Amino acid sequence: MTTGEQGAPTARGARWFFASVGAQPGYRWGAAFVVLLALPLAIANGYQQYLLDLIMINVVLAVGLNIVKGFAGQVNVGHVALAAIGAYTSAVLSTKFGLPFWFALPLATLATGVVGAIVGVPSFRLEGAYLALATLGLAESVRIFIAVTDYLGASVGYGDIPPPIIAGWRLDSYAAYYYVVMPIAVIGTYIAFSILHSDVGRALKAVREDTLAAAASGIDVRKYKLLAFVISALYAGCAGSLAAHMAPGFIHPDDYNLTRMITVILMVVVGGLGHVWGGVIGAALITLVAEWTRSYYQYEFIIFGLIVVLTMMYMPRGIGGYIDRRLATRRFIALRRDKAAAEAI
Amino acid sequence: MNALLDISGLSKRFGGLVALSNVAMTVGEGEVRGVIGPNGSGKSTLFNLVTGVYPADPGSLVRFRGEDITNREPHEISRLGLARTFQLLRIFAEMTVIENLLVGCHRQVGFPVGAALLGSTRVRAAERRLRGEMLDLLDFVGLADFAEMPAGELSIGQRRLLALGRAIAMRPVLLMLDEPAAGLSPINVDKLLETVLALKARYGLTVILVEHVMKLVMASCDVVTVLDHGEKIAEGPPDAIRDDHRVIEAYLGREMKDAEVRAFLRSA
Repeated sequence: MTTGEQGAPTARGARWFFASVGAQPGYRWGAAFVVLLALPLAIANGYQQYLLDLIMINVVLAVGLNIVKGFAGQVNVGHVALAAIGAYTSAVLSTKFGLPFWFALPLATLATGVVGAIVGVPSFRLEGAYLALATLGLAESVRIFIAVTDYLGASVGYGDIPPPIIAGWRLDSYAAYYYVVMPIAVIGTYIAFSILHSDVGRALKAVREDTLAAAASGIDVRKYKLLAFVISALYAGCAGSLAAHMAPGFIHPDDYNLTRMITVILMVVVGGLGHVWGGVIGAALITLVAEWTRSYYQYEFIIFGLIVVLTMMYMPRGIGGYIDRRLATRRFIALRRDKAAAEAI
Repeated sequence: MNALLDISGLSKRFGGLVALSNVAMTVGEGEVRGVIGPNGSGKSTLFNLVTGVYPADPGSLVRFRGEDITNREPHEISRLGLARTFQLLRIFAEMTVIENLLVGCHRQVGFPVGAALLGSTRVRAAERRLRGEMLDLLDFVGLADFAEMPAGELSIGQRRLLALGRAIAMRPVLLMLDEPAAGLSPINVDKLLETVLALKARYGLTVILVEHVMKLVMASCDVVTVLDHGEKIAEGPPDAIRDDHRVIEAYLGREMKDAEVRAFLRSA
């Protein structure tokens, strides 16, 4: 009998509640969702609401990059170019073809997934810096292609992208749009978690750690590399589409340049490669830092550089890696203690 | 005894270097086979050709359970029930110990990707069952306490056990061990010997063993194949190999007197 069962009824109730929340991951997700639903109530102004929307979109983007880079260990410097493809596909579908947001979003997401498969092909033969260069080439060509194509607004940008509409209600305020991006961010994070804790996630990590040993364990290395690129492209395309339809419904090729890519990489690195929560925290943190330092934009690289150096010095595995290590050590000590206690009896 | 692995005409050249030349070898079911030879004699090349890491030269033929596996992809070969360990271990350092074993179970899970993404209850139940089995296996190799530790924090000896465990997790028919005792202390070599023999008894495995530690080879192997300069120079039971002239020459050169060599091999 534990002490909890002997306590006062309310304490017992509370304990039972928290124990069941801990035992059922579903409850935790539900609780987080409720908190996020209510979050706009605590928001003071439209700018903060805009930041919150931006964080949610960046969470989708960063979690996606984490799947290809953090889980599967494949460098993809073209992640924001995939987001650009999602954004422009969605924009064209909704303006030139008149599709509502609810169709443009999934179609743009799927289209980006297909492009992701193409981006993933070089990873069969290239690794590390070489793969980074190959994907960087693809990314820059996408951006430059957009910037010179009149159909896509060229370097003027592409405007008048309609917001989502539910039963005649235009979700063109940041507060209303939050209820589109937030559930998607939560679902995206949940799926990333499911992948990480599944056989697929382990296969991806094995590919990251050692392709030869992974193949010797029966893992089709090429298949899983491609899968990682496709899944991460789906996230990028979805995030791109969400960004395009957010007020004021305007996108520009410069939103998808190398600086932006470095920002997204930073989110994943600061959060912790291969760590889903870390990526979420990193996305929130870096979005805020990037926004707050906007007026000192000429120092942006110095600030980001400093963040990278400090992270590498004090938390080489990012925030998530740091937390993971503490937890692993604690579990190990607890296991040892239980064993010693059992032997003492 | 049926032939489980049947190799004939196995050759490999790297540029002008002949790593392996026309090697033939047949391993029966339930056998423990030792492969020995001086450094650079082609032992590891033999492993890498059989498991599909390198393509073999034309004329080579490798049959496993009657199926031609010459130049197949490594993951296809391993799925047929051929597991191996690596000389450099290649454990997944950033993954936990139990995750390393679960990777070995990859081909036993076989759920569609979609089911895994949604974390369905069936997937979760299967995960729990596999986890339980892998904890038992960890217990068997003596790493149960470290299940949730990152594998990179294990000592070299523990990593060897983990690499062995990961190979067993695949439920292979044939287990190929590349220098499992390298760098182990004498006590741990004894432990490893026990483990290998227990494996054979418990899982009915066939084992091929590349090894420098003579004591392990002599005590555990039914048949020993000796390679030198990429060619098979002798094959037979350990006692016969111990006294074989060519083997002694290959290992120690001609100058040493036979009596001294025998004393060396016995003491090892």
